[in-house]
This record gives sequence, C-alpha cells and structure tokens, in this order.
Amino acid sequence: MTDNTNHNDADKSRERVIGTPTSEGATLATAEDAPHRRHEGPYPAEETHVRPEEVQRRGERMASLWFLVAFLAGIGFFVSYFMFPANSDGTPSIADPETAQWANMLLGGTLALALFSIGAGMTVWVRRVLPHYEVSSPYDELPSSEEEKSSFSEFFMRGAQESGILKRPLLRRTLLLAMVPLGLAPVVLLRDMGPLPGDKLKRTIWRDGTYLVVEGTNRRIRAEDLVPGSMISVLPEPDDPEHGLSMNDQAEAVTILIKMDPKDFGPGMSQQQLEWTHDGIVAYSKVCTHVGCPAALYEQTTHRILCPCHQSTFDAANGAAVVFGPAHRPLPQLPIRVDEEGYLVAAGDFSAPVGPTFWDAGVED
Amino acid sequence: MSDNQAPQAPKALRGIGNYIDDRFHLAKTAEKNLRKVFPNHWSFMLGEIALYSFIILLLTGVFLTLWFNPSMSHTVYEGSYERLRGVEMSEAYASTLHITFDVRGGLLVRQIHHWAALIFVASLVVHMLRVFFTGAFRKPREINWLIGVAIFSIAIVEGLFGYSLPDDLPSGMGVRIFQGVLLAIPVIGTYLSFFMFGGEFPGEAIIPRLYMLHILLLPGILLALIAAHFIILWYQKHTQYPGPRRTEKQVIGTPMFPGFALKAGGFFFFTFAAITGLSAFVQINPIHLFGPFTPTSITSGLQPDWYMGFLEGSLRLFPDWFDFDIGGYAVVTGVLVPGLGFMGLLFGGLAIYPFLEAWITGDKRAHNIADRPRNVPVRTGLGAAGITFYGVLWLAGSNDILSHTFQISLFATTWIFRIALIVGPILAFIITKRICLGLQRRDRATLEHGYESGTITQLPGGEFIEVHKESSPETVEVLQSAKYQGFRTVPPTVDANGVESPAARGFLGKLRIRLAHWYTKDNVSFEDVVPHSALHGEQRTEEKAGQH
Amino acid sequence: MKWITARRRHPLAGYVVVIVALAFLGVGYAFISPTSNHAVADTVAAEQGEVDIANGKQIYTQSCMSCHGEDGKGRTKEETGSAVAWGPSLEGVGAAAVDFYVRTGRMPSADPNVQMPRRPQVYSDQEIADLAAYVESAFGGGPGIPYDVPGDAPQRGEFGSDAEYEAALAEYEKNYAAYVGGGDVETGMRLYLTNCAHCHSWSGAGGALTDGRWAPELDEASPRDIYEAMIVGPGAMPVFNDDTISPEDKQALISFVKNLQDEPNAGGPFSLDRVGQVAEGFIGWTIGISLIVACAIWITAKQRAHD
Repeated sequence: MTDNTNHNDADKSRERVIGTPTSEGATLATAEDAPHRRHEGPYPAEETHVRPEEVQRRGERMASLWFLVAFLAGIGFFVSYFMFPANSDGTPSIADPETAQWANMLLGGTLALALFSIGAGMTVWVRRVLPHYEVSSPYDELPSSEEEKSSFSEFFMRGAQESGILKRPLLRRTLLLAMVPLGLAPVVLLRDMGPLPGDKLKRTIWRDGTYLVVEGTNRRIRAEDLVPGSMISVLPEPDDPEHGLSMNDQAEAVTILIKMDPKDFGPGMSQQQLEWTHDGIVAYSKVCTHVGCPAALYEQTTHRILCPCHQSTFDAANGAAVVFGPAHRPLPQLPIRVDEEGYLVAAGDFSAPVGPTFWDAGVED
Repeated sequence: MSDNQAPQAPKALRGIGNYIDDRFHLAKTAEKNLRKVFPNHWSFMLGEIALYSFIILLLTGVFLTLWFNPSMSHTVYEGSYERLRGVEMSEAYASTLHITFDVRGGLLVRQIHHWAALIFVASLVVHMLRVFFTGAFRKPREINWLIGVAIFSIAIVEGLFGYSLPDDLPSGMGVRIFQGVLLAIPVIGTYLSFFMFGGEFPGEAIIPRLYMLHILLLPGILLALIAAHFIILWYQKHTQYPGPRRTEKQVIGTPMFPGFALKAGGFFFFTFAAITGLSAFVQINPIHLFGPFTPTSITSGLQPDWYMGFLEGSLRLFPDWFDFDIGGYAVVTGVLVPGLGFMGLLFGGLAIYPFLEAWITGDKRAHNIADRPRNVPVRTGLGAAGITFYGVLWLAGSNDILSHTFQISLFATTWIFRIALIVGPILAFIITKRICLGLQRRDRATLEHGYESGTITQLPGGEFIEVHKESSPETVEVLQSAKYQGFRTVPPTVDANGVESPAARGFLGKLRIRLAHWYTKDNVSFEDVVPHSALHGEQRTEEKAGQH
Repeated sequence: MKWITARRRHPLAGYVVVIVALAFLGVGYAFISPTSNHAVADTVAAEQGEVDIANGKQIYTQSCMSCHGEDGKGRTKEETGSAVAWGPSLEGVGAAAVDFYVRTGRMPSADPNVQMPRRPQVYSDQEIADLAAYVESAFGGGPGIPYDVPGDAPQRGEFGSDAEYEAALAEYEKNYAAYVGGGDVETGMRLYLTNCAHCHSWSGAGGALTDGRWAPELDEASPRDIYEAMIVGPGAMPVFNDDTISPEDKQALISFVKNLQDEPNAGGPFSLDRVGQVAEGFIGWTIGISLIVACAIWITAKQRAHD
C-alpha cells in the first residue's frame, strides 16, 4: 500500500523540469487494458496513472448520482423556503419558535445535504475518473544569483544618487519635516470620538435624599419591608418616571441592598461604614471593581457577594472587602438612611469610585 | 485515441482566452500556475478550512447586514416574536430578532455565521499547530508565519466584536469586560475608554463603532492578509513530508489543474456542508432567549466564545496580589497582566519563535521538507507546553461550569488551575520530549532491523525469534529523514587554532551555545545507520539500538 | 472478525478508528445531555383542605425532632453528639418553608452538612400540610403556603377513576396556564435577570456558588416552588419577600421563567442544554472540525495506482 505512489520505481531518482519534452519512455504502460497506448494527459505518463475505463465509468455513475442528490436537495431547499411564511398573519409562521425550528432544520438540512453531495461528487470524480496523480515540480531557488543582486544594487544606488536624496540633506530633511504634521493629523482628528473623563468616573447620580427603588418595578422601599436575609437590586428613583434612567446612569448607580442581622457585621466595618447602614440594611455598588460585571451573587448564610464573571468574592458583613479572586478594591458602599415616612433614601454618593479600578481611582480631585 | 493530439479548445473559450491574452499576455503565466503542484496530505488542508470558513463568513455577513441596524437607540419591540413583544430594547437587538423571526432563512444564516466563526478560529489554530510542529515556519517561510499570527490575532478581535453586536445580555457583558480592561491601562486607560465609548459605559456609540470595525476595517485587513498569505504560499510552494523522490529541490503532489482544483473545490463544499449541518441542528447563541442587554444584570455561567476563553480564564486565575500604587495612582496588575500581558505573551511568543529557533540552532538553510515532530523533540515539547498553558487557561475560563457540573468547590477549581498553569506545561514538556525520544529509538530500530512481522520462528538452536521484514522504500525514506532533521547544531566554541570563536563570545554567545546544546543533545543519532543492516539476529542488536 | 483483521493494516484504518471514536464521543454527549422538560412528577395538593395538627405533630416527632429539637429551636452537633444530626431553629420559619423543603424532597435530610438536591417527596401532600400547620402553630408563623400559585400537576395514582383524574388535570392546567400567562413580560424579565440570573443563570440552569454549594436548576420547579423559595430563602439564597417583590411581580417573574423554559429551541433540536458558549465551543471542536478533517482525509487518502 505504501509503495504504490509510483509504480515505476526505476524512475524515482529521475528529476525532470516541468515543460521539457517527455522522454522516450512516454509509451510506458499506463493501463492494463491498453499497454501500448500513447499518453494523452497534460502531465508525463510515468507520473500519472490512467484508470481502466471500467473504473472510470463506475466513478462517473457514482459522481453523477451524488450530483443528482444535490439537485434534489437543492429543490428541497426551495420547497422548505416557501413552506413556512414569514409574517405572523399566516400559520404556521416562523415567528413561532417551534415552527422556526422546523424551518431552520429543513432549510439547513437540505442545504447541507446539497453542499455535501456536490463535495462528495467532486471527490468521487477526482478519485475515480481522473488519472492518479503524483507529479513532480522543482522548488524554485529563491535567492537571486550574485550577479543579479549586484546588478540591482548598482542600479538602485545610481538611481538614488541621481535623485539627490543622498547628497542633498536639506531636501531630505525638509521633506521629513513636512510629513510630521500630516502624520499626526489623524490622531488629532480622532479627538472628538469622546469627551475627556474628567471626574465622571468618580461620581454617580446618587444624592442625599434620593429614593432607593426596586429595579424593574420602581417601587420605593421601606426599611421594614426587608427581613433579615433579604437582598434586592435597587436603582435611584428617576426624576422623570416617564423615561426612566439612562443606560449610563443605571450602569453606574446600580446597587444591591442587603439586610442582615446587625450583629453579623464584622470588624471589617469601620464606624463610619456602620453609620452608613440602617438597622442591618447595607447598600453596596453592584458593579465589580475588577472589570465591571454586576456582582450580585449574594449568599445570605456566608454574607459573600460573588461576581459570576471572574469569581471575585466580597464579604458583605465586612465592608465588602475582597476575600477571594482577582478584584482589588472593596465594593463601594452607598450611605443610606430613612426619611420621615420610613422610606430608604441615600445619604450621599458612593464611598469610592464605582466600577473597575482605574489609574486615578484612589486620588481625590 | 492513438495519437497524442490534445482536443481543440471550443471556439467560445478560445475567443475569451485570446481576448484576455491580447491584453495581459497571460498564456505562459497561466500554464505555469495551473501546473503548480500541491503535495497530498490531510493536514495540508487545514489552512483551507480557515480560508473557506472566511469566505462563508463574508457571504453570510453581507446577508445579515441587509437587516441589521447597529444602533443603540431605544425602541419598544413590536415584531413577530411574541415573548418579547412590548419589551424595551436597543435597535440592534430588535433588528437581530427581526432577522431571526421575520426573515426566512435569517436564523439559519445567523447560525451559519456564528458556527463559521467558531470553525474559522478553530481551523486557524489547528493549521498553526500543524505548521509549528512540522517546522514549516522555517526559512524561507518565516514571513508567512508572521502573517498567519497576525491573521489569528485579528480574527480573535474580529470575533469578539461580532459577538458584541446583537446587544444581548452576554454580549453586552463582553463589552463591559473589554471596557474594564481598557480602564486598567495606566495613565491613558480612562481616556481610551472615553474615546472608544464616546463617554461613559455603555453610551450609544460603541455598537456603531464596533460594527464599522467588524464589517469594514477588520475584514478588510484580514482579507488583505489572507491574500498575502496565499500568494506567498503559492510563490514559495507548499512544504511536503519526507518520502520517495521528495527532496528539498522538488515537490511531489497533485497539480492545480485539473486534479487539485477539483479536490479543493470539493473541500469547499464539504466545509460549507459541515457548518450548515451544525447550523441546521445545533442551536448557537440564542440571543432571543438571553434577553436584551442591561448594564445592571448578569447571568451565571457567563462565557465568551471559545477563542476568548483563554483570556477569560486568565482573568479568573490571576490573583490581586501584585496590584500596587504609585503615589496613590493604581497599577492594576490583576487586570493588566491577564487581560493584556497573556495575550501579548501568546502572540509575541508565536511571532518570535521562528527567529528564536533559527538563532539557537544557527540554521540558515532553506527548508522544504517538513520535520517529523519526533525528530525535533525540544520544539515539539515546547509546543506541547504551549498547548497545555493555553488549554489550562481555556478550561479555567469555564471553571464555574466545571465546578457546577462536577460539584467541586469553586475556589478549589481556581487553585487547581493556578497550580496546573505552572506545573502542567513543565510536565507536558518533559513527557512529550521523552515520547519523542522513544519514538526516535523505535525509528532507528525499525530502520536497522525492519519491522516486526508478527511471525515467530524457531531457530535451529531451539530459541524462538520474531522474524523482522524489510520496510517499504517509502518507510525507509521517511525514517531516514531523521538524519537531516534531528542534526546536532552545536557550533564549535573554538576554531582550529584554539581561539574562542566570535559566535561563542559574550553572554549572548554563551547562552546561545548552551541553548543549542540543550536543543539537540538528547537526539538519537541516525548518522551511521544503514537501513536493514541488522535484519538478521535481531535479538542481539535490540539493545544496541537504544545506545548512541 | 476476519473482515477487520484483513483491513486493520489498511492505511485508512487509523483514521477510521479516530472517526469512530469521535462519533461515539459526539453521540455519547448527545445522550448524556438530556433535553429539558422533565415531566413534573408529584402529587395533587391538599389545597386549603382540612389539616390535622395532631398528625403533623406525630410526623414532626418521628422525622424532624432529632435534629430540630422538640421545641423547634434547633440542635447543635454538640447537643446531638453526631456530626450528621443537627439542625437550625424553626422558630418563625412558617408553613411555606416546611412546604418548600419537604415537598421538594430536600427534607428530611440524612446529612445537614451538605446541600440537598431535589428528590421525590417523602410525605403525601396532606401529611405535608399537617406538618406545616403544626410547625406554624407550635414555633410561630412565617409566610404561609401560597395556595393560589399552581403547584405540582396531579398524578393518576391519587384518583379513583380516569374521569376524576382528567378533570383534576384539566383544572390544574387551566390554573397553570392562567398563572404563567399573566404578568408583565418586561417586569418579569427585568426582575429575573437582575435578581436571580446571576445564580440560577439566564436559562434557569443553575450555577456554582462558593464552597461546593450550587444554585439549583429551575426546570423541575413548579411555580409554587419558585414562589416559596423567594419568600423563604432556602439555604444560601436571599429572601425576596412580598414587600420588595409583590405577588403580582412574582407572578410576572415566574411567568418569565416558565415561558422561557417551555419555549422550543428555534435554532435547532440540539439545544446543548442551553449551557451556551462552552458547549458550543466543545461541539465546534469535536464535531465541526473532525467532520471537516474526515472529509480532508477522504480527499487526500492514498490510492492504488490501478484500482
């Protein structure tokens, strides 16, 4: 099996450049049924091996069969396309997920079958009908000859000399100088892609007195609404309830509200941080200080807050200090209090910049 | 039939041919190129998978742009998909729903586009591994290797941006992580983020900008690089595995016309069929089930597409121990090293490897015969170590899924992967190198003794031996290639007069000598081996074969 | 065997073995990743019927007291002298907690040190109602059982005749459809994605927590199970009581979960368990790449010169 890539081993050391006339041995046997037939192919007979007519005929039939299958599958594709209407007026329509699954399967299945059959037909064709090929061709000698190289070098240097770029430095240097502003122009043009950060990353829309509302229902929360062990994702109450908060405001202001037994607060909470809580209710930024995923996976038994993206883990009972994972800073805490009606409101902005740590996150402006 | 006359070209074809040739003088060039020879081996088709999936990506991508609306402005969905009717979302998400449920075949094409993207990057990786392990990146093909590395890196970014476009829940989180990594860059991070996003996250600019990058700039660059890659391959001709008549000077294979053209054409259809088949039956990225992006929500089991998995994993594994401040300014190594450093390590390492290896071995020759990986054990070992490193990071990117599936403590998986990341590559290197050397010994034995025929025969003296038979000429040829591949390249440190040679001087020179020694010292010598010289009396020479 | 012996040295034999192995891998994966929609198997609720507190007390004494204590204040490992016999206080947990833990088979538990998975329930619905009533009356009330939220579907075995069973089933299905058909989609989605999905995943497939705990999948959970879990806060799960998320909002949330789970997968019959990108990458590599490589092997396989 392994030694039949070339049936004529006597020729194996022979090297021949494609395009030179075939040798006298072109009348070598190429097929059993016609041992003395002259070769008709584009490549030398001793390198390609014509298959017996019988094999070729069988190959032709097989390949054609595949192409016929491809044709039928292609027709099936069109049928599938028109079988399922697009808009929801008709039933069944592809807007219904179950119908969509059928439509997708039939369209994709027929298309895949058609494509596969064409591929299979072509492969049978090349393997059964075409002669068996393994022809040789030289690798080009890649480096140019010394002669060519020196000729080029001489030509090029003479040209450079003639242009004056070598002996007229003023010309050369002023041209380079002229390029500098032009090279910087694209950078300058990109300036208006966005505003400068300023202190925007360091403050949010939380203000003293802003109501905490349940995200999704915009319901205000009373302190007694929460029982120990509860948690809820909250946002600041929007000024304009019609339009709600912008995405940017949500992204920076989103907060998780956790109520635990006040006795559970650990030594990690400073006096200030304890003052920012209310009756065991503590509010932390929901945005992870690692790369900014919402970290909200709160376990009421361990008081851990876990970020599902990269598993930074914060201890809610100890000022959201990092207890595991890649984050570095604790989650910023939102000071809260109750207003005269008993509703939870913010007592100011977050204790630190929310979100991923950046260069000047720890620097006061 | 009996004469050697080629059939006359049909008149119409001749007309077209002449028309073109009159203007471009192409007859000779065309014939030369149609005679181009391509060696046959399945592993030489891996790059073609990438090429074909790229073509499929372009075709399906154009289809998707007909309906996709890359806008982050808000809308209330009123389309045909009932479950989300009345929900507020971005135009980008709504238009993706439209493609899925209002355009016939839209869902199929979207799934083909996504599967093709996964297959595209996967085939880039397997193709690159094939090139690496067979040493096909060596002179004269280093430039093409560099282009390949560039294609790989851009393809990953291209995929990340495409994944972000539908503005569904996981894709928005991908963008968020991207922004988090940008922010961590010292000094200019916040500026980069504000310029990229047109302000704060998420803003309304990022999807239109990613869309431009995804459908115009990056595919344009990819197309140019792929074209250059292909032209260089065409010009230099493909490498081939060792075998009879296959030498550094001539390539053996199927010529472009007619054989290889048919094969390559058929393979395009096969690739397309496999991707379409997956898209027809296996659901991918069901954005209509995820729901629209909101910056306040997240899901457990959140993952990027597989090719970003190693970055996700490195972000999970790298601890915060090395974060530090300079005068109050934060240097967030916990994000910078895994987010940018590991990526730089991967692509930088790949890009530099051909030059590093050439420097170590001092090998300046051109190579057209591919190495058998066992004949270059150190390179193969390094490759295995690299795969292990990458694989551990990749697995670590799904540690929550593994923890949940196999009920292992989450923090324990992190620690297991942290340790595996350091120990795994070292072990992989040692084991792979050992296996390579073992295979070399077996090769040498086979070359000298022939192969084991499985026939036991009794000698007149009464002892039993297994009869060894001569290997085929092709096998001999393949085995003998070790003579040239595993050669020892340690250059002489002193010249004929006992003076230290210039190449061995200085720190770098000494380092190079040591590395070169390390690179080849364990190779089994094939220099004095005469094929089948020890065909008889196998048992006595069995032990000798192991020595060198 | 002869056939195999004759061909095992064929140059393609190695490839064939690899392809067969990969095919087994793929098919095997398809089998071990079952599709969703397990039938909800449980018994019909003894809804709002009579309860027998004395019977409840008897069950408590037999099955709960050894860990939770006679006074319901819970017992520590030291008190019971066993590492696997201790339990938390039941004071003020309420009927909903009992109903949730016992009906989902999480109680009685043989080992309180590990998280209990969902199991077939041990007691009948009537017994659970009795037990819940006893715990509520003896140890102080917490949230009650939300009987208006559909629980598990009725089982044939609980009815004397087919007609009764079918009537009960029809009634149940009507209630179920009315419950999950109501509720605002957007509110439900927003509440679920922002408060639940970070543990239970967007699809309700569950996810990993710390220390080997996990958030369970919601496939088998009935609307009432989900409702009770929210007001009870079992295990590490935080409480979402009716003051923060009102009953209507909970209905919207549960509707979202159930409608999402019941929706067929438009993209194809193989949904990969809705695991998402990890499974997609796995399939792309194992099935996608190997199918295409198999084709490449066919195209480039060596041939005899004359066959």
